Amino acid sequence: MSIITVEHVARIEGHGTIHVELEGSTVKDVHMEIIEPARFFEPMVVGRRFDEVSLVTSRICGICSPNHAVTSLKAIEDALGIQVSERTKLLRKLLVYGSYLQNHATHLYIFSAPDFLGLPSVFPLAETHPDVLERALKIKKAGNELCTLVGGRPVHPVTAVVGGFTHEPGADELEAFRDRLLALVDDAVVTAQLFDSFDVPEFASSCEMLALADTEEYAVYDGNTAALEAGWNRPVQEYRAFIDEQVVGHSNAKHSTSDGRSFMTGAIARVNLSGKQLMPRAAEALASLSTGAVGKNTFLNNVCQAIELIDACERCAVYCDRLVAEGGTSTPVKYEVRAGFGVGATEAPRGTVYHSYTLDDDGFVLSGDIITPTAQNLGNLDADMRAFAPTVAGLPHDEFILQVEELVRAYDLCLSCSVH
Amino acid sequence: MAPRVVVVGLASDFGCQVQITNIEDHLLEMLDVIDLGYWQLASSGHMPAEYDIAVVEGAVTTLEHVELLKRLRKTASVVMTIGTCAHTGGIPALANRCDLDAAYSAVYGEGSDVARGRCAPGPVHSVIDVDYQVPGCPIDTDEFLAVLSKALQGLADPLPGDPMCAVCKTKENVCLLDRGEICLGLVTRTGCGAKCPSLGRPCTGCRGLAPDANFDAARKVLASKGFDPNELDRRFDLYNAVREGVR
Repeated sequence: MSIITVEHVARIEGHGTIHVELEGSTVKDVHMEIIEPARFFEPMVVGRRFDEVSLVTSRICGICSPNHAVTSLKAIEDALGIQVSERTKLLRKLLVYGSYLQNHATHLYIFSAPDFLGLPSVFPLAETHPDVLERALKIKKAGNELCTLVGGRPVHPVTAVVGGFTHEPGADELEAFRDRLLALVDDAVVTAQLFDSFDVPEFASSCEMLALADTEEYAVYDGNTAALEAGWNRPVQEYRAFIDEQVVGHSNAKHSTSDGRSFMTGAIARVNLSGKQLMPRAAEALASLSTGAVGKNTFLNNVCQAIELIDACERCAVYCDRLVAEGGTSTPVKYEVRAGFGVGATEAPRGTVYHSYTLDDDGFVLSGDIITPTAQNLGNLDADMRAFAPTVAGLPHDEFILQVEELVRAYDLCLSCSVH
Repeated sequence: MAPRVVVVGLASDFGCQVQITNIEDHLLEMLDVIDLGYWQLASSGHMPAEYDIAVVEGAVTTLEHVELLKRLRKTASVVMTIGTCAHTGGIPALANRCDLDAAYSAVYGEGSDVARGRCAPGPVHSVIDVDYQVPGCPIDTDEFLAVLSKALQGLADPLPGDPMCAVCKTKENVCLLDRGEICLGLVTRTGCGAKCPSLGRPCTGCRGLAPDANFDAARKVLASKGFDPNELDRRFDLYNAVREGVR
């Protein structure tokens, strides 16, 4: 028997090792070892004041920091019985979508595209395809600048606090950004066409898919958790009842199941559950995919992210207009500090993220619980690798490994999130 | 020949490495003047045997990190840290305030066999000498480019020593202490342009302790404004749980 390990898999966020056991060309075992050291965010928030929690939890992830910040704010507000204004919600949604633009552009172009172009990294594109690299950086930069416009900087938003915002952009800045987003729609459409043109293996995951779903709009901020196959729809407050976490021997991150099944969360789950609520150009791109419906081919998570890029540009332009037209305030609402328990959930770029906290009478944290998208996805990644690896085990060694790496990268893992 | 640079992440959220990719406008220019020998976040490939500059993100939390840092120091002529985790231990060092064994059992259950080999979280300079530091959570991209340029040219880059308040005053911000909010600008190292207070949010101390700060006087200021003076220490812990030499 031979054992293949791919240590510190490149172009993913965090440190992980692919482990394959082969007998001839028969795959005996394959899994992803998460070697990223444990980080203990849940015990670390204990004893911090309620208004420090988002500062700590934002540091779970440098890529989706706005999501961790906003999700923990929602959980704290749930515990304190705070209702934020519609304007605060709109601004928070812009933060979430800023992280979509930044994350998806980075994942698609910098992490994934080199696989399909046969390159070690995106940098050689500067010579061969400068237009592609330029487009990648343009979308990514718009995401960063949207986060900066609302949050004060690209990583770890400054202005988002319990109850509202300490600062918000002016009408002229919002209008200028709206124009920029509308101009970016075509770049996002070309991105979806590019990823649709890449050959991906025909593969169907056996998984369940979970994402937030909302009757009002494509859910990223509000909504219940919905299950694609089981068909249920449950309040996020019950997340502990529908997601089980298990410690597994080969991973510093836990694995998750729902109703005993591994499941996937992320762009592909959202597009499956809420695809009918996409904005027009995004819906058009989804309808014209060469593969037809995205279904459960996890490799198509990439193209789903590209569709979400289109949607994000169209939708955030509308939000900017609404912020200019509707008035109202995002100044933090008044609240009383009290004991309580609260849950918050949002759709981060890589899937649903749940935070919950118990506060004492003075607003200090007694306990915290966080489930990140990657911690939910890792069990399903192992299941997918076990199903997929045998189908490509006959390929030459390098090609076999590359295909398995492509599957890993399609998940857009965030391993530092996973070991929070 | 362009100096070879490796970028290495210890325990962190990768936010400072993400900030390097966020230098969209200058990323390619930067790649013209350095040979980016290894960067796991952005490129396939293995760490080369020889390199000139090691850029380190993250706090030291495992024995593997300690070994890696010793190897980097031995090989590189310049070690540069980026971000608060590497600079002060940052948020990961908050774990020093917890019972780590209890935390481990709470997360993984008693007697689990994963995530072993940890050590008490601390900054990079607690293990090896560091030549250049870019503080902040996250780093500011312009400051990173400025410090990297100095490192490439072998110029000294002393960190500013005065507290953030000095800069905040020049921004004509209304003092947050006078608006009823505890701000740590009194004791935090400047260099960020007072970003957070300028956006209406109190300083939370991410750039570490200003060498010229007077903690005792700062506690008195807090008390004079009607706050519990011990809140200064408790809040400053957030990014500075392993600090030494506080007066």
